[in-house]
Formats: sequence, C-alpha cells, structure tokens
Amino acid sequence: MLTQAQPVPDDLLVRARAGHAPAFAEIVEAHQGSVFSIAYRMLNNRAQAEDLAQDVFLQLYRKLDAIESLEHLGFWLRRVASNLAIDWLRRLPYTTTQPLDEGAQVAAAATDDDPLMSRELARLLGELAPAARAVMVLRYQEDRDIAEIGTALDMPVNTVKSHIKRSLTALRSRMIGAKLITAEELS
Amino acid sequence: MTENFEDELRRALRPVQAPAGFAERVMRALPERRDSVVTPIAMQATARPPNYWQRLRAPAALAASLVLAVVLGQRMALYQQQQEEAAGFAASQELLQALRVTSQKLDLAYQAVKNPPEAGAEENRS
Repeated sequence: MLTQAQPVPDDLLVRARAGHAPAFAEIVEAHQGSVFSIAYRMLNNRAQAEDLAQDVFLQLYRKLDAIESLEHLGFWLRRVASNLAIDWLRRLPYTTTQPLDEGAQVAAAATDDDPLMSRELARLLGELAPAARAVMVLRYQEDRDIAEIGTALDMPVNTVKSHIKRSLTALRSRMIGAKLITAEELS
Repeated sequence: MTENFEDELRRALRPVQAPAGFAERVMRALPERRDSVVTPIAMQATARPPNYWQRLRAPAALAASLVLAVVLGQRMALYQQQQEEAAGFAASQELLQALRVTSQKLDLAYQAVKNPPEAGAEENRS
C-alpha cells in the first residue's frame, strides 16, 4: 500500500504564493524559532524581538514571489532578520548592555553546560556593536559559514573574519574579567 | 581552548523558542491581500536597491552643475574681455585726440616762428 506522499518542500512555497494561509502558517512555524532567536539575541528583549520577527514574516508575505526555494527562504529570513535588527539597534540611543530577559533563557533547552557561563556569554554578546553581534549570532547560533554571513550582511569575507576574531578576543577577556574563566585556560 | 570557548559560545547561543502563539499572531496580522503589506520603517533601509537610472541621478546632476559652471565661467571671461577691449579703444581715441590737438598747437608755433611780426610794429609797440 502506498502511503500518501509528503508534499515536496517547494510545494509549500507554491501554495503560500497562491494565498493558501495554512501553507504560509507552516512556513512561519518552521522558521519562527530561527527568526525569533536572531531577533532576541540581537535586541536582548523578548517584546521587541517578537515585534521584529513579526515584521520579518509580514515582509516575507509580501516578497513570497521573490523566494526561489526553501533554502533561499532560510537565507532570506536570516538576512532580513539580521539587517532589521542592526537597523533597529542603530536607531536606539543606547545599543549595548540592555538587560537580558529571563524568560528566553528558560525556553532554551537545558543541558549539562555551565548555565552561569552561558548566561554571561549571552549578556556580553549584547555589548558588541550591532554588526559584530549579527556576525556572531549568525556564526555561533545559526552555524552559518563565513561566506554566507558576508552575503547576508553585505560584508566582505575578511571583514566577517575580522569581526569574529575581535569579538572572540573581547568576549574572552571579559570572561576573564568576570572570573568565569582563567587566563591559564586560554593558553 | 579556542575550540572549547567557541563550543561554549555555541551552547550559550542555543536558539530560543518563539513565544507561544507567535505563528497565530503573525497569521492574524497578515493583510487580506499580499500587496497591501506596509513596509516597516526599519525595512525601508534594506529594501530594493535603487535602479540604474536612480543611481545615475546624483552623478548626472553633478555633471550638469559642472557643465553649467564651465559655460558661465566662459561667458564671464568673454564679457570681461569685451569690457577691457572697449576701455582700451576709448583710451586710444583719447590719445589720438590729444595728439591732434598737440599737432595743431605745434603748427601754430611753427607759423609764428616762420613769419615773425614786422620791425615797425615792434618799435611802435616800445
């Protein structure tokens, strides 16, 4: 007996473009975690992150015709979310050291790693400049390669590498300052 | 340690879950028609890049300004040259007039020397 074939991924796009609301809802559900996570790591504020993520999906709804495939869709969402967040942060009078919301940390899956260190790292990430923060989020949260990060943020590859190197150095030195790691651990 | 630190960073940046009901709220916020979505202000900065003609607008305006400046400069230089030529012509006319007057006076003096007054007339005078 033949089982009912799962719809091919790109069929979702075709149906969503045709105005099929459940298809678009499926796309939102599939990508909401990634988009919201980028927004939250960039803004450090759940309410603002939700507003930004919603803007991203509304924009996607309007631009569906320009999306070529589900792979392109993922890239497009990451790019728009990152750039919107950078623009958002640049409009704020103070772009750094916003307090980290408690709720989102609870939502992340609990593992056996050091929660204090993870929380401090996430907080220190919020002290980086917007562009550097976006690079780090795409690299270490979304696990994107350097070339894709450069394309998403309209940045030369060498600039991406430079952001990563300088941000890692800054984060390490701040972790040492906070006595969460020792200088010996770095050697 | 670098790899450990990067792993630590990856763990710290684990994706977080979207708030409950997020997808439903997005779906409720969708407009009836896809082309009626208002572009958020933040998005406008990352919207479609300007097309060929829009990109040419600023250089074209600059080039037109330069051409206008060059033409106006040439006109000004021509006007100044004409003014100087007119002033030079007037000065030469005045000089010629002065030379004519001087020449007439010299003629009178020459005639006076060549035909001096008679002696009787001189004696009568004394």
